[in-house]
Amino acid sequence: MARIPFSIIKYVRFLWMSEKVITYLHIDAQGQLVDWGGYPNYYGLVNLVIGKQATEQISFLEGLLPVVHTEVIQFLRVGTSNSAHVHIVPYQSHTWVLLFDATAEHDRQQKVQQQANELSILNYRQSRLIQQMEETWQALTEEKQQLEQISQAQGRFFVTLSHELRASLSSIINNTDLLDIPLEEYETHYLTTIRNNADHLLSLIDNSLEQTKLEIGQVVLRPSRCEVKQTLKELENLFLPLAQEKGLTFTLESQPTIPSFVMIDGLRFRQVLINLVNNAIKFTEQGFIKVTLDWQDDQLKFAVADSGPGISPESQAKILTTFHREKIAYHLPGVGLGLTMSFNLIQLMGGELKIKSTPAVGSLFSGFIQAPATGYIPVVAETSQIITTTSLARILIIDDDVVNCSLIETTLRERGYLVVSTYDSRDAIQLTRQIQPDLILMDLLMPHLDGYTMIQRLREQQFTQPVIAISASNFEHDRLYALTSGCSDYLVKPINIEQLLAVTERTLCKC
Amino acid sequence: MIQKKICMIGDFAVGKTSLVARFVRQTFSDKYLTTIGVKIDTKLINLSQQQIKLILWDIAGSDALSTVTASYLRGAAGYLLVVDGTRKPTWDTALNLQELVNSQIGNKPFIFLLNKADLQEQWEINNLDITEQLQQGRAVIHTSAKIGTGVEEAFMQLAMKLLNNPLD
Repeated sequence: MARIPFSIIKYVRFLWMSEKVITYLHIDAQGQLVDWGGYPNYYGLVNLVIGKQATEQISFLEGLLPVVHTEVIQFLRVGTSNSAHVHIVPYQSHTWVLLFDATAEHDRQQKVQQQANELSILNYRQSRLIQQMEETWQALTEEKQQLEQISQAQGRFFVTLSHELRASLSSIINNTDLLDIPLEEYETHYLTTIRNNADHLLSLIDNSLEQTKLEIGQVVLRPSRCEVKQTLKELENLFLPLAQEKGLTFTLESQPTIPSFVMIDGLRFRQVLINLVNNAIKFTEQGFIKVTLDWQDDQLKFAVADSGPGISPESQAKILTTFHREKIAYHLPGVGLGLTMSFNLIQLMGGELKIKSTPAVGSLFSGFIQAPATGYIPVVAETSQIITTTSLARILIIDDDVVNCSLIETTLRERGYLVVSTYDSRDAIQLTRQIQPDLILMDLLMPHLDGYTMIQRLREQQFTQPVIAISASNFEHDRLYALTSGCSDYLVKPINIEQLLAVTERTLCKC
Repeated sequence: MIQKKICMIGDFAVGKTSLVARFVRQTFSDKYLTTIGVKIDTKLINLSQQQIKLILWDIAGSDALSTVTASYLRGAAGYLLVVDGTRKPTWDTALNLQELVNSQIGNKPFIFLLNKADLQEQWEINNLDITEQLQQGRAVIHTSAKIGTGVEEAFMQLAMKLLNNPLD
């Protein structure tokens, strides 16, 4: 192989040295700079003085000398100068410091590292942000749960309070009913006023109670076979006189597609329609009210249209809020519950309610509920002979509410029953043994001995006759609890006289 | 003249270069530029009627001590452990690095610098963590290279420690 000429080697060496910007510093055993070569300025080493201490001139050597083995310091920069790989080489008690240019490599590495570090910081900030959002979400969820608990507690308090109010109101209403005797005109007027106001209060309490129960999820639907056309007829009977009184055209339309019977909670559906029609009549001063019913795909569709004042778009967003009342309604009766209740009930029945309204033209409240069609079930008429078969029955009433107790007692006596009553539940067991009643009517919440315990004791003593519960609570779960505890029926205060008699007679008839 | 080598140690992007720039040149830049290898700066200070030349080794940030990084520590008289107060992991890194540096160059004076003190609303370092270090007799200084808080104090305090260090 031919030898490379010396001149070529020299040329390559020059190129390599130029590219690496090789610089050397020669330091003696005393640490003094003996000599230097290359390009120290390129590395930020200026004004080097031969014979002077190296560490005073070349700052990065502080603490490093002397070295035993070769030390390498990669990517060293003095100030803002170029980057160097520094080799500190010991040689015969002297030290040689060699500097090689690393600027290009430095810049390459910096570019890569810069991106990596920025990405890492970005990831960290992002993960912290997500963590903070999760913490905020968690805090909000806890806050929401607390608020829900407070709301539930308020709801329960309101329910308890309203039961107390209902109990007192029932006494007032029942006592006015008892005053079924010839009275002076002014006395009749007073009595009517008392009765009307009591009815209004009771309706208010019932609606508030209903809404609260809807809000805390205590309303249970009781679907049964419902004759839709009958519901329409009832609506007509209820509202036609009112509409006529205001000079309004009131029409009801039902499509022929509607089955004779559908499986819905008829009571609740009627409640919804009554609320919607009632509102329509209340707000419409002239023109019409039109109620339409249709049925398709197991859905009962309804629409209540009116030519009333209409609702502005802003108000439409608010009218479903509990106790919200439009300015126009301030002088009208009501507290702003009907529409909210209707909306909630419709949702509970698996449907929806839509509102379309144009101010000064009218409103349309339409929607649907789930209503599967069901077959026709013949209703067996109850006979009036029941009374004759049960009128000599012995009935025991146990109720600490003296007024309620005497009302039931009076009513049943007037029907010819043999009635014994007690206000103290502690006497009840003894009385039962003595008179052997055919039926017991019993309040559930009483001091000393509550109704549930009483039934248990009576059953333990082989008392097999029916017991009808009386309660101020119209909660479904209370009714069910009473029935599973051994009651044959459940009456809610204020006692409806007709219902009391019907249930009493029906129960006795079964004995 | 007395010369002392001081190393700036800590995770990446905690502000080591910015602290040196603030101390040496009274400058600050919001732009983050990562350091590769090591940057040498010097500053003359007067302390206890002595002129001292501080040789500052601004070492590339890392959460561990590589062989290359370890080579930068040789001959250091003390060091500053820099933490980004808005990133808790950099505090843990600093604690870890302190132990590694200690095993590499022995027991040398050092100070924890909780940098970016101007961003208190984003602060992530728990006061209990700081108290724990203080209870061990370690120095912790809040600094802000951006507004200059605690910077001069940090370097001067370390320089004082170096002067008073009987082992050096």
